[in-house]
Amino acid sequence: MTNMRNILLIAAVLVALVAVPPFLGLGWQNALVNILIASLFALAFNLLSGQAGLLSFGHAAYFGMGAFATLHLMLAIEDGLSFPTPLLPLAGAAMGLLIGVVAGFFATMRSGVYFALVTLAIAELFHSLTPHLQGFFGGESGISSMRMPWQGFVFGTVLEVYYLTLFWVVLSVMALWAYTRTPFGRLTLALRDNEQRVRFLGYNAHTSKVIIFAVSAMFSGVAGGLQAISNETANYALFSSHISAQVVLQTFVGGATIFFGPVVGAVSFTLFAYLVSDLTRSWLFYQGLIFVLVMLFAPTGIGGVVQHHLRNVRRDDWLLLAGPYALAATGGVLIAGAVIYLTETVAVLFGEEYAVQIRNAEGSLPAYEMFGAWWEPFGIATWLVPVVLLAAGGAILVKSRGNILKCWEKMGREVGEGAHEPAAPGVAK
Amino acid sequence: MEFVIISALNGVTYGLLLFMVSAGLTLIFGMMGVLNFAHASFYMLGAYIAYAVSSYFGFWTGLIVAPVIVGIVGMLVERYLLPRVHAHGHAHELLLTFGLAMIIEELIKLFFGDFPVNYQMPDNLRFAAFTVFGTDYPFYRLFIGATAITMFALLWFLLARTRIGIVVRAAERLPAMAEALGHNIPVVFMGVFGVGAALAGLAGAVAGAFYPTNPNMGLELGVIVFVVVVVGGLGSLKGSLLASLLIGLFSSYSVGLDWSLAGLFGLVGLGDWAQSIGGLMTLELSSVSATIPFALMLIVLLVRPAGLMGERN
Amino acid sequence: MKKFAALAAVSTIALGAHAVQAEPLKIGIIESLSGAQTSSGRLYATAVQYGVDKINAAGGFNGEDVQVIEYDNAGGSTGAADKFKQAVADGVNIVIQGASSAIAGQITEDVRKHNLRNPGKEILFINVGAEAMELTGDKCQFYHFRFTTTAPMRVNAMTSAMKEAGDLGTRVYSINQNYSWGQDVQAAINAAAEKGGYEVVDEVLHDVNKIQDFAPFVARIKAANPDSVITGNWSNDLLLLMKATGDAGLDVTFGTAYLDQPGNIANAGETALGHYIANNYDNTAGDASFAEEYKAASGHYPLFVEPQTIFAVGALSQALEGVDFAGGDIDVSKIALALEDVTYETPVGPIAVRKEDHQTIRPVVVSRVVENARYPADDTSMGFEAVKVVPGEQAIYPVQDSCDMKRPG
Repeated sequence: MTNMRNILLIAAVLVALVAVPPFLGLGWQNALVNILIASLFALAFNLLSGQAGLLSFGHAAYFGMGAFATLHLMLAIEDGLSFPTPLLPLAGAAMGLLIGVVAGFFATMRSGVYFALVTLAIAELFHSLTPHLQGFFGGESGISSMRMPWQGFVFGTVLEVYYLTLFWVVLSVMALWAYTRTPFGRLTLALRDNEQRVRFLGYNAHTSKVIIFAVSAMFSGVAGGLQAISNETANYALFSSHISAQVVLQTFVGGATIFFGPVVGAVSFTLFAYLVSDLTRSWLFYQGLIFVLVMLFAPTGIGGVVQHHLRNVRRDDWLLLAGPYALAATGGVLIAGAVIYLTETVAVLFGEEYAVQIRNAEGSLPAYEMFGAWWEPFGIATWLVPVVLLAAGGAILVKSRGNILKCWEKMGREVGEGAHEPAAPGVAK
Repeated sequence: MEFVIISALNGVTYGLLLFMVSAGLTLIFGMMGVLNFAHASFYMLGAYIAYAVSSYFGFWTGLIVAPVIVGIVGMLVERYLLPRVHAHGHAHELLLTFGLAMIIEELIKLFFGDFPVNYQMPDNLRFAAFTVFGTDYPFYRLFIGATAITMFALLWFLLARTRIGIVVRAAERLPAMAEALGHNIPVVFMGVFGVGAALAGLAGAVAGAFYPTNPNMGLELGVIVFVVVVVGGLGSLKGSLLASLLIGLFSSYSVGLDWSLAGLFGLVGLGDWAQSIGGLMTLELSSVSATIPFALMLIVLLVRPAGLMGERN
Repeated sequence: MKKFAALAAVSTIALGAHAVQAEPLKIGIIESLSGAQTSSGRLYATAVQYGVDKINAAGGFNGEDVQVIEYDNAGGSTGAADKFKQAVADGVNIVIQGASSAIAGQITEDVRKHNLRNPGKEILFINVGAEAMELTGDKCQFYHFRFTTTAPMRVNAMTSAMKEAGDLGTRVYSINQNYSWGQDVQAAINAAAEKGGYEVVDEVLHDVNKIQDFAPFVARIKAANPDSVITGNWSNDLLLLMKATGDAGLDVTFGTAYLDQPGNIANAGETALGHYIANNYDNTAGDASFAEEYKAASGHYPLFVEPQTIFAVGALSQALEGVDFAGGDIDVSKIALALEDVTYETPVGPIAVRKEDHQTIRPVVVSRVVENARYPADDTSMGFEAVKVVPGEQAIYPVQDSCDMKRPG
């Protein structure tokens, strides 16, 4: 029953992904390409960090190398090599695999937090070395190429690029899914849960980890290659810690313990960036805040919470839960409003433009404009707004939390944000 | 000779600064097994708080207030945030502090802007301590070094020679037993975390007046500090001192050396061949000096995976 | 919160594209508006907005106000590529960018490919700050215009001014960041040696904004015993270098390109006194009315990269006066052709576009940090005082051989 429902759901998503984009604007088509690439990257990352429990803070290295390899192949095609343009991401896969084996060999010498630090440092090594290697990496300005036509496909429009990306992402996701079903996929989970036992069973833990690392790097390379195809360029900034950090954020906000969790995170964060990044200068702050809140209150991520509800809540339970949940959502919105209000107020009051206004007003604090209204820095209304929002939101949340707990008790099931789910990726000390 | 001596002096002070930051990280990890990703952010926070305080109450007040506030922030994190994720394992602790690092960086940008702020040492500290080969050696460098050495001595004394140290070490080894003996383990841990954070804050307050104080300083130093603890061996104070000095000296010397792989091959008569390959071969050491800590780390990993002073995995 | 209004405007444009009668000219600013280089990015954006406000106050263009849309490239070329696509989707006609040559390289390539694929819907790229030689060399193209100096222009002007002031000496040290800009500066320092009557005693290229401690480099500089140090370093790399030199008590004169970045003078303190900078403009050179007018509008005197950006928009405004689409479709190629013929008068001299590579021929102002300055920097008593204005014809260098520009039509 659930299986059937899942298959139908996936089929519906696929049909929508194929059928809808031609009717969307260029901006949305492009956003979808980014979403697809981010999703694949997060899934590849999660193979290592979620499934094998090896938390990597330097996956930008494999993503970036995949992009560079793909771009060199594109350049070769431009120079007359006959290679079908749609197969370009293979170069990214090959490079990701190669670098993954080497880097994985070093990184998996250690486990736990060491592993995390070593991956971080390897990515930094790439980031600091590559701008000096003019030949392959094109210095700090990078290298660029152009998608060449193949068999009547020009690959000039975003839509064509979108379908190419979609094809590769779906293919890779299917491969990654299939991987989890193989015995080696099971071994991956076992390595996370009990490495000692894996060793006693006669497996070479180090070799296995290197293989997992390399596979994860390979699919990261595919994602990087797809980005190279979409942007037609690659530059050492691909190795920056920012890229590595993004994929960590996306994966764990989405939920590392379930297969499609990282996709949830990648989709929501990429959309978030697309919609909000030009709207406020503080969007990185909001991103960090969301991440920390998810870590604190829903360690299994959005995906984990959703899955928990799908498993444990029957249809008639929803009637019971709907009220308290709506109340909780209201409280959440109020508090979010207060946080956004305060953040933007700080951004204005401590901003450069306001400093100029203070200087012009000779020391006194002038009124400022925010959210289409004018506010006095010492006005009662200015500070009453966030206080009221916070107090009301807080009160509602506390109340609804009690109600929700009661509801779950009544349903006779355990609460908790996926407390009974398989153990979160535990990094052994 | 001149180059050798001056580079050694510079390398040692830079190494000691690295040690100041890594000491708190090492302390927290050694005692509690928590790798605090936000540690370099505490360093940055220290510098900014010292800047804000010192512009009203003078340099020395800033130097005292900054570590106290950062220490309190650290204790709050340990008391209210870490326990929530503790049940989900060390990975989640790492991720939580990783998120905190992002938030701290963005908060600092929100309040202080993206430009470097003008955090300066007081004029009465701005003089040359001595002159070697006609180059003035700034007193403040000695001050940074002295602070680091004092820190190391105090920490060592506290942990190895006092009752507090015994309790802390007991709390690390056998928390249940220590608790049964009537020690308040949560308070001990909170204290350790607070002290670790305060050390980073102190390092920031001291170093921020010498190096620029800007919103990237945490990230820039953070990565090097992580390399330091991996090379030194996580949790080993002596190891991180050794690794800090090593990396400080390497960075200092590499600057003056125009060595390249091609030059190395030149010694055995393959110089022209190596030159023709280009790329990695012709990179001069001085131009990639920032890369050296990472290369060093990879070598240490190969030869001695547990780090120079670390215990076996 | 201009941003909210701008975004609202953008979305209404996107939705109602067919309903608009006259086509407004849309300018997209793709800058670092979050992340490490935000400070420079904001200055570019503010200056563009100021220039466009002037165009709109004079009646706009094509029967509509000129629109400015800000895009945050998050400090990276990947972000820039992404936002360029968004700009295309929003129907932007002209892209303006300045901070970072790497990002400019990305945008100019994106513009070139876009124009190849979409004839008739070209996009123009006005580069207001990226100085890498390759942008008017290997990557030079008809739709890219550079409204700033390049390394040889700055270095030539600086060495000649420093020589005249007797501060250059005969032994020059070259220390630069190891990427295209730094390498360009190093090459320019070597090229100018003969004319400047100096010897380059040593040259160093170092990592970009990664070095915490410059004392080892100072030790190396000291060993070479130079009279002056010329560097293209910016941000931390400049600040740390100057501080370390000051701390070591080394008596050399610095010739810089980016000493006027906000915060630098305050941060460097007394150490900064007597050092030089070669830039596009200085408030103490030429007519003061430009600076006063800008201050009246924005609250501060023009600083750092703002003047060159305002001049670029000014030149664009002059070019727009010469084209008329009668409220119909905007043809950017015509604007580009008009821009080629513009001679824009700035307070320090005329700026004109060189048709062969679209580098502007422009004056370079060399100034020195002095105490009790007329235009104090960063709330200190110090500031810049112009010592020489090198006219455009003298500062310019020959067109690079690598530039192979294909003109439209």
